[in-house]
Amino acid sequence: MRLDKMLVLAKREYLVRVKTKGFWIALLALPLFLGAMFVIPALVMTTTRAELDLVVVDATGRGLGEAMAADVAGRGEDSPMADLRITVVPGEPDREAQTAALDRRLLDEEIDAWVLLAPEELEDGRAVYRGRNVSNTLTQRMIERAVSSAAREMRLADAGYDPDEVAALIEDVELATVRVTETGSRAEAGEAGFALAYGLFFLLYMVLLIWGQQVLQGVLEEKTSRVVEVIASAARPFDLMMGKLLGIGAAALTQFGVWMVTVAALTAPFVLQSMAFLPEDARLPEIGVGHVLWILLFFVLGFFVYSTMYAAVGAAFENLQDAQNMVFLPTFSIILPVFFMFPVINDSDSPLAVIVSLIPLLTPILMPLRIAVEMPPWWQLAAAALLTAGFVVLMVWLAARVYRVGILMYGKKPTLKELWRWMRYA
Amino acid sequence: MTAASLELIGLHKSFGSFVAVEEVSLTVPRGRICGLLGPNGAGKTTTIRMIMDIIAPDRGRVLLDGRPRRREDLERIGYLPEERGLYRRMTVADHLAFLGELHGLKRKDAVERGARWLERLGLADRAPRKVEELSKGMQQKVQIAGTLLHEPEVVILDEPFSGLDPINQMLFKDLLAEYKQEGRTILFSTHVMEQAEKLCDHIALVSRGRLVLEGELAEIKRREGGSAYRLVAGGDLARAEAVAGVEQVVVDRQASGRARLFLRPGAAPAAVLRELVGFLEVHDFTSEEPALEEIFVKAVRDAA
Repeated sequence: MRLDKMLVLAKREYLVRVKTKGFWIALLALPLFLGAMFVIPALVMTTTRAELDLVVVDATGRGLGEAMAADVAGRGEDSPMADLRITVVPGEPDREAQTAALDRRLLDEEIDAWVLLAPEELEDGRAVYRGRNVSNTLTQRMIERAVSSAAREMRLADAGYDPDEVAALIEDVELATVRVTETGSRAEAGEAGFALAYGLFFLLYMVLLIWGQQVLQGVLEEKTSRVVEVIASAARPFDLMMGKLLGIGAAALTQFGVWMVTVAALTAPFVLQSMAFLPEDARLPEIGVGHVLWILLFFVLGFFVYSTMYAAVGAAFENLQDAQNMVFLPTFSIILPVFFMFPVINDSDSPLAVIVSLIPLLTPILMPLRIAVEMPPWWQLAAAALLTAGFVVLMVWLAARVYRVGILMYGKKPTLKELWRWMRYA
Repeated sequence: MTAASLELIGLHKSFGSFVAVEEVSLTVPRGRICGLLGPNGAGKTTTIRMIMDIIAPDRGRVLLDGRPRRREDLERIGYLPEERGLYRRMTVADHLAFLGELHGLKRKDAVERGARWLERLGLADRAPRKVEELSKGMQQKVQIAGTLLHEPEVVILDEPFSGLDPINQMLFKDLLAEYKQEGRTILFSTHVMEQAEKLCDHIALVSRGRLVLEGELAEIKRREGGSAYRLVAGGDLARAEAVAGVEQVVVDRQASGRARLFLRPGAAPAAVLRELVGFLEVHDFTSEEPALEEIFVKAVRDAA
């Protein structure tokens, strides 16, 4: 192993990638895309908000229409639905004539819809909505809620209850979670750790979907460009493989680092805004710095564990087409840990959880989960990190062996038996 | 410039039941150009790859300056393989600097030398361009520069002239001559005998994995070539047979006034010529060295 050569090779891989236009386009595309996702809907909401002229025929004569209008007005601007302009009219004795007249106005586009609140129908729990367009389900749902709440208050009053009192009585109960740890129990939103672990899993998956292919192609590059013999005579295949992984990994982490920072910067105003609305006693999810650092370490190790799989596939073949048939192997290796996710979350220090989280191919996904549920003992974390790093080195070493023999097999696809022989080849 | 000698001792490599290189031993003295000659498939490339530690030999050793060649020693060798290429997406300047660094140069030196080479090869204006934007001939120049950039003591070239355009062939030959002048050791393989004949002072002939002939080119020619002379003269050429030291005269029946003379071993050509001018009007009397091609064919036949 020669560190200087490895670094020269890694630097080349890194610079060649970072110097491409594609890298910078991708670097800027995600923040722009996310920015657009926040800005465009907001623009659309403010400029093209639908308006709906609604007539409420209140045949109950008990102020139900007004109560409903008040309920809608109470929801105000925050409602993502159309702005409702409600006109309440009393029910006329000739129901049919009134219906015909309102339908006429509807068809003449004077109004957009009308609702009939009739006592006999409300008793059956029904009200009629008539409109030219009846597929505006969200708006209808809002009207339905408003009618329901008005009707409920009316029924409660009829039965002799005070609606406010009843509301207080049927208030929901919220489960506040408290995690008990060695350093004393503290209140915590249990989801926060999971969110981080899950989030990183999907992030890792995404990174590898994008960059795994780069690793594969990178390992094939010397062979397709025929520069391989010059490089192989100046650097050992192990140094070449390791240099590639480090260089491409650094480029991948650069890209994702920039993305993460911009995403955080873009979403920070929204997060702060929503925090301002939290009640005084709300407890924010709390994750220690130590947790985050361990999780990030396993994220980085995860990148290398799974990308060595791509490297190994690239090492065995001469060109991308042949290698493509084996790409399912690395893809499968990152999905594998998912099978153990739920047992591990359920009981994070069971023997099963401890064992599977120490298996290098599973560690990068499962260990962060365990950390999220309950911090494992430090020696388990250290052992997992060391085993994973060792596994990466071992895989690179194996890939390098296969690579060294594969260099000379121009024009021939290896069989599994040959691959095995190559690995044992001295 | 200190050069190193290169020595192969009993190199052997087989792929399955096929013996690619069989017990090849060869010494390239320092400061010499050695041609590794043989037809395609003779084992030249496998031999070179074993020298470069790309293939591990089954048996045998490679010595550099009399000591076993270690992995680090490869930095002292400039290697141009038969299968050659460049990273297409790198700029020319970056590529040369990278190759220099990979062979142990400091970044600064590598950049400087790369620039100097590009200047010399008339490619200075291409330095910032990507390799893939260069013509094939220019890429070949970059490859040559990349091989020699780190000023290796030993240069190993596998079929260096194949695929080179005439201008680059000329350029390369000049460079090799210059390198030899500086006392560096050069080993190159070729299947084109004329090239070897012009460039080498040492040759090794391989056939079917075996070394059939090795040594100084001039000496081999003397040894293998015998003593044929070409005679162009007016008069009765057949009378030359009577001259002391002449073993046989073969008169050319197709062109008048031409014959081949074969001298007896130990006969002095100058003495023969003096006799000949006595009764012939001699226009030309030249030693007719056998072509390397003939020597090679004979050696292969003898070895079989």
